[in-house]
Amino acid sequence: MKVWDLMGRRRWLYLATGLVVVACVASMAIQPALGRPVLNWGVDFTGGTLITLRFQDRSVTTGAVRAALQPLGLGEAVIQKVQETGDVSIRTRHLEPEERRRLEEHLRQRVGPFTVLSVDDVGPKIGRELRNVAVLGVVLGLALQVVYVSLRFQSVRFAIAADVALLHDLLVVLGVFALTRATVDSSFVAVLLTVVGYSINDTIVVFDRIRENLQLRTREPFPHLVNRSLLEALVRSINTGLTTLLAIGSVYLFGGPTIRDFAFGLAVAVLTGGWSSIGLAAPLLVDMTAWAERRAARAAAHPAAQLARAAAGGRRPRP
Amino acid sequence: MRSHTIRILVLVALTLAAFQVVFQPVRMDGWRPTLQPPQPRLRLGLDLQGGTRIVLEAERRPGVEVTPDKVDAAMRVIENRIDALGVAEPVLQRQGQDRIIVEFPGLQDPQRARELIGRTALLEFVDTDQQSLPKGAEWLPDNRRVRLPSGQVVNLPKKVVVTGADLRDARAEFDQQSLQWFVRFRFGGEGARRFEDHTARSVGEYLTIVLDNRVLSSPVIRARIPGEGVIEGNFTAEEARDLAILLRGGALPVPVRPVEERTVGPTLGRDSIDRSLRAGWIAVAAVVLFVSLYYRMPGVLACVSLSLYALLLLAVFSALGATLTLPGIAGVILSVGIAVDGNVIIFEKMKEELRAGKTLRAAIAAGWRRGIVTILDSNVTTLIGAAVLLWLGTGPIRGFAVTLVLGVLASLFTAVVATRWLVELCADMGLGDRLAQMARLPARPEVAA
Repeated sequence: MKVWDLMGRRRWLYLATGLVVVACVASMAIQPALGRPVLNWGVDFTGGTLITLRFQDRSVTTGAVRAALQPLGLGEAVIQKVQETGDVSIRTRHLEPEERRRLEEHLRQRVGPFTVLSVDDVGPKIGRELRNVAVLGVVLGLALQVVYVSLRFQSVRFAIAADVALLHDLLVVLGVFALTRATVDSSFVAVLLTVVGYSINDTIVVFDRIRENLQLRTREPFPHLVNRSLLEALVRSINTGLTTLLAIGSVYLFGGPTIRDFAFGLAVAVLTGGWSSIGLAAPLLVDMTAWAERRAARAAAHPAAQLARAAAGGRRPRP
Repeated sequence: MRSHTIRILVLVALTLAAFQVVFQPVRMDGWRPTLQPPQPRLRLGLDLQGGTRIVLEAERRPGVEVTPDKVDAAMRVIENRIDALGVAEPVLQRQGQDRIIVEFPGLQDPQRARELIGRTALLEFVDTDQQSLPKGAEWLPDNRRVRLPSGQVVNLPKKVVVTGADLRDARAEFDQQSLQWFVRFRFGGEGARRFEDHTARSVGEYLTIVLDNRVLSSPVIRARIPGEGVIEGNFTAEEARDLAILLRGGALPVPVRPVEERTVGPTLGRDSIDRSLRAGWIAVAAVVLFVSLYYRMPGVLACVSLSLYALLLLAVFSALGATLTLPGIAGVILSVGIAVDGNVIIFEKMKEELRAGKTLRAAIAAGWRRGIVTILDSNVTTLIGAAVLLWLGTGPIRGFAVTLVLGVLASLFTAVVATRWLVELCADMGLGDRLAQMARLPARPEVAA
C-alpha cells in the first residue's frame, strides 16, 4: 500500500491554508471599500429595534412598507422580506415603546393587518456588553485550553500549534461571515465558542495519536511519525466531522430561517476545525520540532563556543 | 454471565427512570400509581413557546443610590403589579447588581405589561396654591419649573404635601352619573393626618395630583378631606384599573428603564418547535444510518446507546428544571455529534487492534483503554469552553452552554460505559464474528472453516 506522505508536502498544506487565510482577510478588508461594515452586525451588537411581521397579504412589498415609514422619520430603516415565508423584517434605531406603538398603528392603517412574529429591542449598552463578553469569552476560553493542553501533553509546542490552528479557525469564521453577510448576533458568540471547542477537540484527537505513537519509542523520524499518526486518525476525523455535519446540515435545511445563520456558522466551524488540525497544526508541530532539534544540534556541535560563552558570562571583565 | 445480568438491569432501570422523568407515564395519586398518556415535561424557552422578556436596569441618578437591596425591593413591587395583572407564570430574576429580568410566557399583548412594570409610579399630591394645571403638564427635573402641554415653561416650585407611600388602598370605580372612570384612594397613618390637615387649611386652593412628575388632575379643594379621595382624569376603564394597580403596589424605590426587550409571537414559537423537532428527527435518522452502515453491528449498538443518551439528556433537563431554548436545541444536536465521536474514536482503535491480529475480547479491552484517554482530553477542552460561556453568557448563549455541558457529560457515560456493556454482551452471546466484521478483515481460516 502506498503511504500518503502529507508531511513531506508540508509546503502545499501551508500554501492551501495560506490561500484560505488570504481570501478571508481579503473578504474582510474589501467590505469597507464596498461601503459597509466588515461584519453584518445584528441589533444584538449595535443596539436597535428589529420587528418581524407577517402581513395577512403576503405579497406586501418592502417599498410599500418603506413609504409608510417615511412620515415617521424612519425612512432609513432596513426593510427586508424573507423569501420563503413572505415575512417582513424592519430594522430601525432603538425605539421607545411609544414610538413603536405609533409605528405599528401606522403600518396597520397604511399597509394592512399583520401579526407581530417577533420584536428584538436592544439598548446600545447591551450591545457593548455583548461585544465585551464575546471577546473576553474567546480570550479566556483560549487561555484556559492552552494551559490544559500544555499540562496534558507536557509540551508548549503542542499547545502553540493547537492555538495557531485555532486562531486560523476564528479568522476563517469571521472571513466567511464577512463574505456571506450572514447576521452576526448573540448566537454568533456561541458559534465562536463552538469553533474554539471543536477546533481544539479535533486537534487534540490528532495530537493524542502522535503522543501515543511517541510513547512506543520507535526510532522513526518525527515527520514520519506525525504523518503516520495523521493518517491513522484521519478516518476518525472524517467520520466525526461527517456525522456532526449531517446533524448540523439537517438543522440548516429544516430548522427554519431563525436558526439558519447559526447552523451555517456551526458548519463552517466544523469544517475549518477539521481541516486546520491536518493542514496547519500538524505541519507546524513538525517544523517547530525540527527547528528545536537544529538548535539543540548546533549547541551540541560547538561545545567550545558554549564554554567560552559561559565563561564570559561568569567572569565579567571589570571596568 | 452474572455481571451481564446486572448490567442489563442497570441499563433498563436507567431507561425506565429517564422515561418516567421526561414523559411521566405514571403519576402518583397519593400512594396509588395511575397511568396517564405520556407527554414530555420540558420547560420551553420564550423563543419556542412565545412570550416576552424584558430586561430593566436601575437608573443611576444624582441623589439616588442603587443598591442590590433596593433592586430587590423594586423587584417585589414589580411582582405585585404583575400578579395584579393576572399574567400566568411570570418569571422574575435579578441579574448582576442593577438589573431585573422579567419574562412573560405566552403573553399576547406585552405593551400593557411593559408600561405597567417600567413605571416608577411615584404619586405626589402637590400644593399649587391658586394655580390649576392641565393633565399632562410635567415638572422638569429641577422640580422648580413646569412644562405645559403647549410647550410653554412656567416657574412653579413643587411643594409636595404627601406621597403615595402612605396609601392604604386604591380602586378603580365607575361613576354612573358622569359616566367616568376614576380611582378611589385611601390614606393611612401619618399620611392621612397630613392630608387632612392640609385640606382643612387650604380650602379653595388647588391640590395637584402628580404621577412620575406628570400631572394627572388638578382639582380644587372644596372641604376638609379625611384621608380619602378620588383621582379623576378622563380615564378609560383600562387606564383607571392600571393606575389603581400601580398605586396599590407602591412606587419603585429606584427608577428603572428597559434596556432590552424580546418578544416572540406564538405563531413563530409554534413554527420553531415544529421545525426544530423535524430537523432533530432528520438529524438523528441521518446519523443512525451513517453509523450503522459504516460500523455494522457495533454501529447499531452505538445507536442504541445514543438513544439512551438522548433520553438521559432530556431527563437531566427536566429534573434540573432547565429551560429548553432554540440555541439549546442546537447545543443538543452538536452534542449528538460529540456522543457519536466518542464511539467513533473507540471503534477506530478497536479496528486497528483487530487488524493487528488481536482477539475480539482483547481488541475491545484495548479499544476502550486507549479511547478513554482521547475522549477525556477532547471532552475536557470542550467543557472548558462551555464553562466559560456558562459563566459569562446570558440568555441564548447560556442556554447553548447548558445543553452542551449536560450533553458532554451524558455522552461520556453512554460512549464509555453503555456502548461497552452492549458490545461485550454481544461478544459473549456468540455474536463475536458479526462484531468483528467492522474491521472488514479477509475471512480468517478458522472462521471460514
